[in-house]
Amino acid sequence: MRRLIVLIALIATSVLTAIQVYAADPVAMPGVRGLWLLTDYPSQAVRPGEVANIRVKLQNSGLLPEPYALSVSGAPAGWKIDVLGGGQPVAAAMPAVNESVTLTLRVDVPKDAKPGSQSITFQAKGPTQSAELPLTLTIGNETPAKLTIKSKLPSLRGTPRSSFEYTLSVSNDSGKDLTVALAAQGPANFQTTFTEGYGSNEISSIPIEAGQSKDIKAKVTPPRDVKAGDYPVLIKVAAEGATAEQRVTLQVSGQGRLALSAKDGRLSGEAERGKSTSYTLVVSNDGTAAIEEVEMSGTVPTNWKVEFNPKSIPTLAPNEKKEVQAVVTPGDKTIAGDYVASFRSNAKGESSSADFRITVTVSTIWGIASIAIIAVALLVLFGAVARFGRR
Amino acid sequence: MPRNSGQREGSPFTGLAPVFMKEFSDHLSSARMMVLMLFVIVFGAFPVASSLQELRNITEADAYLFLRIFTSAPESLPISFVFALNFIIPIMAIGLGFDSVNSEFNHRTLSRVLSQPIYRDALLLGKFLGALATLAVALTALWLIVFGAGLLLLGIPPRGVEVARAASFLLVTIAYGGVWLAVAMLFSVIFRSTATSALCALGLWLFFFFLWPMIASAITTGFAPSQFRTADEVLAVEQVGSVLARLSPGTLFGEAVIGLLNPETKAFGYFANMLLSQSRGLIPGAPLPFDQSLLLIWPQITGLIAGMIVVFAAAYIVFQREEVRA
Repeated sequence: MRRLIVLIALIATSVLTAIQVYAADPVAMPGVRGLWLLTDYPSQAVRPGEVANIRVKLQNSGLLPEPYALSVSGAPAGWKIDVLGGGQPVAAAMPAVNESVTLTLRVDVPKDAKPGSQSITFQAKGPTQSAELPLTLTIGNETPAKLTIKSKLPSLRGTPRSSFEYTLSVSNDSGKDLTVALAAQGPANFQTTFTEGYGSNEISSIPIEAGQSKDIKAKVTPPRDVKAGDYPVLIKVAAEGATAEQRVTLQVSGQGRLALSAKDGRLSGEAERGKSTSYTLVVSNDGTAAIEEVEMSGTVPTNWKVEFNPKSIPTLAPNEKKEVQAVVTPGDKTIAGDYVASFRSNAKGESSSADFRITVTVSTIWGIASIAIIAVALLVLFGAVARFGRR
Repeated sequence: MPRNSGQREGSPFTGLAPVFMKEFSDHLSSARMMVLMLFVIVFGAFPVASSLQELRNITEADAYLFLRIFTSAPESLPISFVFALNFIIPIMAIGLGFDSVNSEFNHRTLSRVLSQPIYRDALLLGKFLGALATLAVALTALWLIVFGAGLLLLGIPPRGVEVARAASFLLVTIAYGGVWLAVAMLFSVIFRSTATSALCALGLWLFFFFLWPMIASAITTGFAPSQFRTADEVLAVEQVGSVLARLSPGTLFGEAVIGLLNPETKAFGYFANMLLSQSRGLIPGAPLPFDQSLLLIWPQITGLIAGMIVVFAAAYIVFQREEVRA
């Protein structure tokens, strides 16, 4: 029994130790010791006249820390290669045990560099250890930036008041990320705004990663008084010399717009109680299409009457004006004061209204009639004088 | 000076002018008039002073600010100038008229006057007009004081419409005083004792001022159905109530004055106004033109003037049939 316990204790201790060792050195494989220079892409393409940045890691596995001098050899004439660490030029690096230091090789390729491959060697040399990294840089003509733009629905139909929304898909077919500027060219006073696929923010440019495509929305608002017809709008995208364009079309159909006002612009009037008064209203069509069957109606206080002459207008051409007489009769028992009467013109999908302030006056005939009461009182007095007077 | 009762000749107004002038000068120089004037000024000055205090702090634009002096009831003293007038004008008129005829009896001066070539017609009319002129002078003076105080303290001149409305208000006030003057003279003709006639006139005033509103509302409640079904029913009952209330000259005066001095008034009665603005499409707060306001309150003015004439006619008939040789 005791032996068993000792055995279990021994196994447990060794397992724990192994776990501790593994936990203390998660990167390095146990038993792998040494110094390395690492990079993801040891063979890269660079362009003449441009700068290429190559990320390199100096990895120390299980070695005591010591300073390593950094150097680059094999660089062709005219090339300028700097070693940067943390953004600063560095000459040496010192990784801790089982740690790494990130370095960047900044390769400045001259404009007149000849096509072909160049081999350079990056070295880290310490007192006891050293590491080397051979790199191959190929100078070639990189694929130029290329954009394509496609519209799913390039032609939309609507009225001057609707907004036309085109969904466009812009794809970046080149080998690098691009920031694509968006622009639109349309007839005068047409406004175009761009938004991201499902976003609400207006944008003027959009970044697209290499090989990816993004959906944008172009919203075109025609001016309100635009005439019916087809209007083309050219949507242009551009980035680093590459451009693409797509033509979208707005098919604007005409729409009528009703407006109701008084003939002389005065929205108030007077009316006598119980007597009809007529006001001249003007129905006009400010829109771009004819309006059919304009019906007149009015809302007046209780017990009032309102009639229109004519009651309806069969058709109203664009920019046409027609006069309508509104005959308002205040009720017999209306009290003098200011009242609101509203007149409306209705057509299919269109309506316009105008509120009138009508001052109701009371005829003076009733005032004169009540003087008769005073006359009767005076008659009583004169009768008394005639009967009893001059005593 | 007995004459044939069938034979009536000459103008009944012979001697009217001397009687009028004598009465007028007697009233103006009497101590009673001084007391009454003091009474009126004190009663009128307080509401006007406090409403002016309040109006000076008003900043919102009011087209009829000047007229608010008469009608606004300040919070510190919830009596407007108009209400004070409604209260004190009857007292003033009764004070001037309650002993106009019977004191002549008691001083045995009536037969002496009538022995002059003066008809009884002229005597009674002269006495009435003399007292009315006195009242008019007092009220005009009071009106001018209020107007002047308003000009001085508000610093804005009244517009023409406001002056016209305020002047009509003065005329209505004088007519209201005339009604009570005729009532007081009627009692002074009926009763030989000045105390009795004063008591009767004041009693009638008290009745109309305090008791009648209660009686009118009690009668109206009797007319009202147990449950109101339509707004028109409420309106009809309210109209019954206001017709009853208008039998009191004080109500006629109050409505006439409100119509003149509050241009926004379009109807009398709480429910009538509510109904008008809520369901009949009336724009509340819009002032009426002056002529429409006059037409609105024309029945009230007519009632006051006709009432004054009728009561005076009654006093005249009683006086003519009386035996004056005592």
